[in-house]
Amino acid sequence: MGRSPWARFRADRRAMVCLYLLCAELLAVLLLPPLLGLEPNVSDLEAGFWALPSAEHPLGTDDVGRDLLARLLSGGQVSLFIGLSSAAISTALGVPLGLLAGYRRGAWEFWIMRLADIFQTFPSIVLVLCLVTVVGPAALNIVLVLGLLGWTGIARLVYGNTLAVREREYVLAARALGARTGTILRRNILPNVISPVWCSIPLRAGRAILSESSLSFLGFGIRAPQASWGSMIQYASNLTVLTGRPWVWLPPGLCIILTVLCLAGIGDGLRDALDPRFDGGRP
Amino acid sequence: MKRLIALLMAAVFALGLTACGGEKETAEQVTVRYGLSNAWDSLMPYNSPSGSNYTRIICDKIYDRLAYVHADGTLDPRGAKSWESTDDGMAVLFHLDEKAAFHDGTPVTAQHWADTIALITNPDCPALGRGTFSVLAGTDSNGCAVAGEQLGAEAVDEYTLKLTFKSPTAPEDFLLDKNRELYVLPTHLLADTDPADIMELELWSAPVGSGPCKFVEEIPGSQLVLDINKDYQLGCPDFDQLVITVIDKSNLLSSLISGDLDYYAFGGNLSMDDAETAKAGGIEVLEGEVPNTFYELMLNCETIPSAEVRRAIDLALDKEALCLQSTHGLGEPTATDVTPGTEYTCALTWQRDVEEAKTLLEQGGYDGRTYTLACTSNRSGLAALMQQELAEVGMNVTIETVDSAALFSGMADGKYDMAIASHTPGALPLWFTESRLSESNNIFHIADLEPYTYYIDQIKSSSGWETRQVMLDKLQELLADQRPFIPLWFGRTLHAQSPTVDNIDYPSSSFSNENIWAWRMKEA
Repeated sequence: MGRSPWARFRADRRAMVCLYLLCAELLAVLLLPPLLGLEPNVSDLEAGFWALPSAEHPLGTDDVGRDLLARLLSGGQVSLFIGLSSAAISTALGVPLGLLAGYRRGAWEFWIMRLADIFQTFPSIVLVLCLVTVVGPAALNIVLVLGLLGWTGIARLVYGNTLAVREREYVLAARALGARTGTILRRNILPNVISPVWCSIPLRAGRAILSESSLSFLGFGIRAPQASWGSMIQYASNLTVLTGRPWVWLPPGLCIILTVLCLAGIGDGLRDALDPRFDGGRP
Repeated sequence: MKRLIALLMAAVFALGLTACGGEKETAEQVTVRYGLSNAWDSLMPYNSPSGSNYTRIICDKIYDRLAYVHADGTLDPRGAKSWESTDDGMAVLFHLDEKAAFHDGTPVTAQHWADTIALITNPDCPALGRGTFSVLAGTDSNGCAVAGEQLGAEAVDEYTLKLTFKSPTAPEDFLLDKNRELYVLPTHLLADTDPADIMELELWSAPVGSGPCKFVEEIPGSQLVLDINKDYQLGCPDFDQLVITVIDKSNLLSSLISGDLDYYAFGGNLSMDDAETAKAGGIEVLEGEVPNTFYELMLNCETIPSAEVRRAIDLALDKEALCLQSTHGLGEPTATDVTPGTEYTCALTWQRDVEEAKTLLEQGGYDGRTYTLACTSNRSGLAALMQQELAEVGMNVTIETVDSAALFSGMADGKYDMAIASHTPGALPLWFTESRLSESNNIFHIADLEPYTYYIDQIKSSSGWETRQVMLDKLQELLADQRPFIPLWFGRTLHAQSPTVDNIDYPSSSFSNENIWAWRMKEA
């Protein structure tokens, strides 16, 4: 008898390490600031600007004397919020659109997939830059922009799988029994096409974190004085900081890398766990 | 396989040959690469919404001015060879350089200068920044020509320009104050154009001036290619082309070190923080001696109508910390816009008093609303510090990061409540207030300018230093009481010396002019 997906996921050591690390990161960014009384937007003028790491400020201070550890944790909240929320929005949009395009075909397929083509034709960062400029650089706006622009990948994934599933016997049987389209999509098709979507959500979240970092690095990210990992590595655009103050930009940079790697690891783990062909180890 | 390798080698060889060809072409045309951190907003000097130094430094290359102003306030001839006061100090005669010519070969005459002033002061002409001309006879306080009155700009002969003022004005005072806003236009190309349509001309997208550089091409907001005007009356540098590229401020120094730039404006300005990096990168660094920046917090008196609230903002700010954050020790906090080290003084001192600020906020009826503070991206740290200091007294501020042009137009439109701006200070007592406290440029949205303009007029019409100083003190007291803007600090700078170009007058760049005709390439 085959193991359950969760059991298969737990058996994947790499995926579990990634999950633990991501959970630890989430707990740290959520709990440490209130527990340690860290204030990300308050300057410590006694410590000074660009203070070196010390017992009081383990990661030093920034150009305005703000504690960099506090800003790293606060920035983590923002970056993870942006990554996970925008992935959720992309999924919420992409799954139904992909289902409709694949199942209904005809005009639905044409318009949804051509729309996806149009969205994918534009260089994503340029499109995101334009939209963020229009709606304003706030965390919620960035979530919406990244989420609304990220549906195409998920829609294509669901669309492709739906095309394969829609002619299966159980779908034809449901149709012959007079089931409504919504019911067929929800009960017969969705459960059979959703597995790859679960795998792509962490990857989508990772890409959104990177997009936010790129936006912040370019100066179009979240509004000052709020921090994000991307806005923190923006300090590295200054040559003096890049070469002489690695403690300023290295931690947020490492956090971004670690988070994206963890999300990718979890995605891989989910793919393996949800695909029965992988039971018993990697192919 | 052998054939594939042979093909690849041939391709590499061909590429190498192409590259060699490129180098030869470069060797023939010597180009100086010039960096600028913000874009110009117009190539027509009298049509700049921001009136910023970025536009001025570009126009300085294409158009000619009467004189060259050094950082220490001394003057050198430029469009004018010499000048003299006449009519008991009410007028100045400028003896123009006969060798000056527009880029199309037309000689620059006094009539061009007089026609330029007549055109820009014409009320039908939608010129910006014409407040500059409000000192001339026959103009109103906005710099518009008054119908029926003789305009104080006339060509006495082909190469003598006479400017007549409303009050006695020394030529040096006039030039120190107005030179950077006074350019000669190719009026011979504008003769058939209605003044109302002047700004619509195609000419301004490929301008013809009489400055040390000729326009070649522009990628708006990004790059400007200029050829050296080999016939410029003051001489020409030993290179052929100047390519001005907009590069983010944080990348200017690294571009200079890496050799991507030969020089960057203004005067290779460098913060104390970056000096070590510059030196480590082989760049020589020299310290400026005169204040070259004045920082202010602009306030919108329409959205912040209470003088008590504005004074509370002033008292809430820790100027020492703000100055240190920005200048790293190369600046002095101030309570006034009067430039230190000049012959005029101001006894006002700044202080931070949180409790008094809270009281004033209460008296001023501050209702807890959130004000918008605009700043450019490189000053977002400064804005964040201000936000904290204002929060300490109970004032809510949200920060909006915009580019320089949007900042000034946003303040002019009343979109923002406050904005951080910096300017190049002048030696004259009204270098800042005269242009800011006028009907034509009421950027602080002051409801009644009359009390200010009264003192400004008094200072302008006073001939002796003592009387001027007395009136200046009164004006400063009024400003301290009403606080339409908050003076923050005067800063000095460090200059990163160009590794490839010699003879650059670095400090004077801050005064929106550069002696490009004297620049020389260093020997390799």
